[in-house]
Amino acid sequence: MTFDTQTKDSTLDNLLKEVPRQIESLRSIRETFLTDAVLLGEIPSPTYGEKDRIRLVIDRFRENGLQDPTLDEFGNASGIVQGSSGNSTILVMAHADSVFSADTRHVLEVGSDFITGPGIADNAIGLAAVVALPKLLSHLNIKFKDDILLVANVKSLGRANMEGTRGFLETMSRPTKAGICVEGATQGRLSYSGLGTLRAQINLNIPSDYDWSSFGAAGAISHLNRLINQLMEISLPKEPKSKMTFGGLTAGSSFNTSPRAGRLRFEITSEGDEVIDDLEKSLHEICEQFSLETGTEVRMEIVAKRQNCGIPFTHPLVKTTRAIMHEAGITPKVDPSTGDLNAIIRAGHPGITLGLTTAENLREENETIHLEPIYAGLAQLITLLQAIDEGVCEI
Amino acid sequence: MTEEEKSNWLSRNTFHHGEFWDILKLVEEKEKKDLTISLCIPTLNEEKTIGKEVLILRSELMERYPLIDEFAVIDSGSQDKTLEVACNYGADTYLASDILPEVGDKRGKGENLWKAIHQLKGDIICYVDADITNIHPRFVYGLVAPLIQRNDIKYVKAFYDRPLNYSSGLRPSGGGRVTEILTRPLFSLFYPELTNVIQPLSGEYAARRDVLEIIPFPIGYGVETSHLLDLYYKFGIEAFAQTDLDRRVHRNQTTNALGKMSFGILQTFINRLHAQGKIDQLPDMETFYRRFEVEDGAYSQIVQEVIEEERPPMIEIEGYREHRASLAD
Repeated sequence: MTFDTQTKDSTLDNLLKEVPRQIESLRSIRETFLTDAVLLGEIPSPTYGEKDRIRLVIDRFRENGLQDPTLDEFGNASGIVQGSSGNSTILVMAHADSVFSADTRHVLEVGSDFITGPGIADNAIGLAAVVALPKLLSHLNIKFKDDILLVANVKSLGRANMEGTRGFLETMSRPTKAGICVEGATQGRLSYSGLGTLRAQINLNIPSDYDWSSFGAAGAISHLNRLINQLMEISLPKEPKSKMTFGGLTAGSSFNTSPRAGRLRFEITSEGDEVIDDLEKSLHEICEQFSLETGTEVRMEIVAKRQNCGIPFTHPLVKTTRAIMHEAGITPKVDPSTGDLNAIIRAGHPGITLGLTTAENLREENETIHLEPIYAGLAQLITLLQAIDEGVCEI
Repeated sequence: MTEEEKSNWLSRNTFHHGEFWDILKLVEEKEKKDLTISLCIPTLNEEKTIGKEVLILRSELMERYPLIDEFAVIDSGSQDKTLEVACNYGADTYLASDILPEVGDKRGKGENLWKAIHQLKGDIICYVDADITNIHPRFVYGLVAPLIQRNDIKYVKAFYDRPLNYSSGLRPSGGGRVTEILTRPLFSLFYPELTNVIQPLSGEYAARRDVLEIIPFPIGYGVETSHLLDLYYKFGIEAFAQTDLDRRVHRNQTTNALGKMSFGILQTFINRLHAQGKIDQLPDMETFYRRFEVEDGAYSQIVQEVIEEERPPMIEIEGYREHRASLAD
């Protein structure tokens, strides 16, 4: 064991000893971040419509003591907790967008041990943790050598394909030690790799000159059903691990009229980039063949495509995170990310994604987070920041 | 009060919460004047909304900005977890029946508001209903701010946007069904000056202790009406102010519930007419109906003459009697 390693171990041990005290101390100021979670969560923030929520983020950054919170050209809000040296930066991000439309009634219910409402887990509470972080650090009397760059990033989900994060990272020129993505759920989540992903939308239309009397003639729903069956027959390899998920199917508006148009949304994830490339080609061929055989118009649009990326399981950042989770009583669950972590790692920064608490009914209007686990969830985040600041997570 | 004076009152004593966004400044003014402020939420089975109200108001207005000195929930005997949740987020919780037990226990929101005067310590007491689903600190600082800044104001009422009709940028300033159908017509008839109060029945208001302690409190639906009538009788319209708190989202009441509410309000109203000698010596009936419209953020009172002319019984009309007689022939 080198002296350097011994020093790191000793530093980490000292930080770990503080975790139980941190958990209790955070419990005593829970109103700070729970209020932010409710105020932020009650502002609708669909992807591409995050402006109002981001305005509050900027206000809260300022109220929480950040000097010059910034709104960048992509719509991301950011602010810096100044470190004593400022030689390098630790990035802490939470996406500000939500899967819920502006039409959804964004009213949260606060119980003694839960908060319920659309988007509270994904990602109002995660965003609130980032917004409240300066207050929490001040309460815990924690100071850093590095600058902590807090970012509420927009245009993360769905079709946006991490547009906000990618834009932010492309224009950021600060030396960065590591990046942490904060998600509300689920506690124990440990993502240190970004999964190869292909998100696509197939639009099927019945042309105006369609021959309804021909053999096999049908409406858009029947055709999409047959197309889905064909897609499901695609053989996915067991290694590298691959998966196809059908996420959305839209067609028709009545009981007795065959619709002329339909839309299928799906995602393929794989640990092998070549699998994704091959599947993309196959999908195009299937769509073309289906179109010719049925006389329908079938168009596949690639909404997002990402390659695999990651840091090793043995990376000190991952190892340290596991040790901190253990101390905080959190059981790690390795879960490759399809979100903003992908952009951080591809930008050349080591990074992980953490979850703050346990949740139910994710992405439903009665999405619910449990409050009791949050204090440990926040303590893991803050202790990890301290460890990165102390150089414990460097190779 | 002349039309010009009315207009002056509206512009001088009608505020928007946005004017008071600098809460830190309010805290400084409050401390300079050595004022203390208590916040009271009367409750009965409000576990769905009370947690959020206490969390946000206490966190923002006691912890972040020390505008409020005391935060109390006074309950009428909830069967659900209202008190547990409120206490969990740091409110002082009381059962109304435990306060001044020697005067007995009556069930109603007004009872809780009245007993709050005894239980709470503040020079200013701010009352906020428990059923607001879009609670925000403006619901409190928007009401106490005029009392902090202006010594002549004694009582501040809330009013809200009710998005009934936004076409062509013009919308009626709807005060709720009972306000529009009962209270505003009554005020137009008997207390025209009070029609300047845009939402006389709003459940959110703040007042100085020295005026709250000298007026009676109906325990039920009439409490807001009685406050206006009694304080108007004692101090005139100049004692009042009102603040636009933007939108308020709350439970919708059934027509039956509104009927019950109207009955209570009417009792209170008629009691005041008796007490103020208006029943025995009825003044000439006003014929002007007054309501509000808002355009581009400016409130203006619309005055319409409504004369309910009457026809005599038909039998008294000679032509009718002759006509009927001819038919009989």
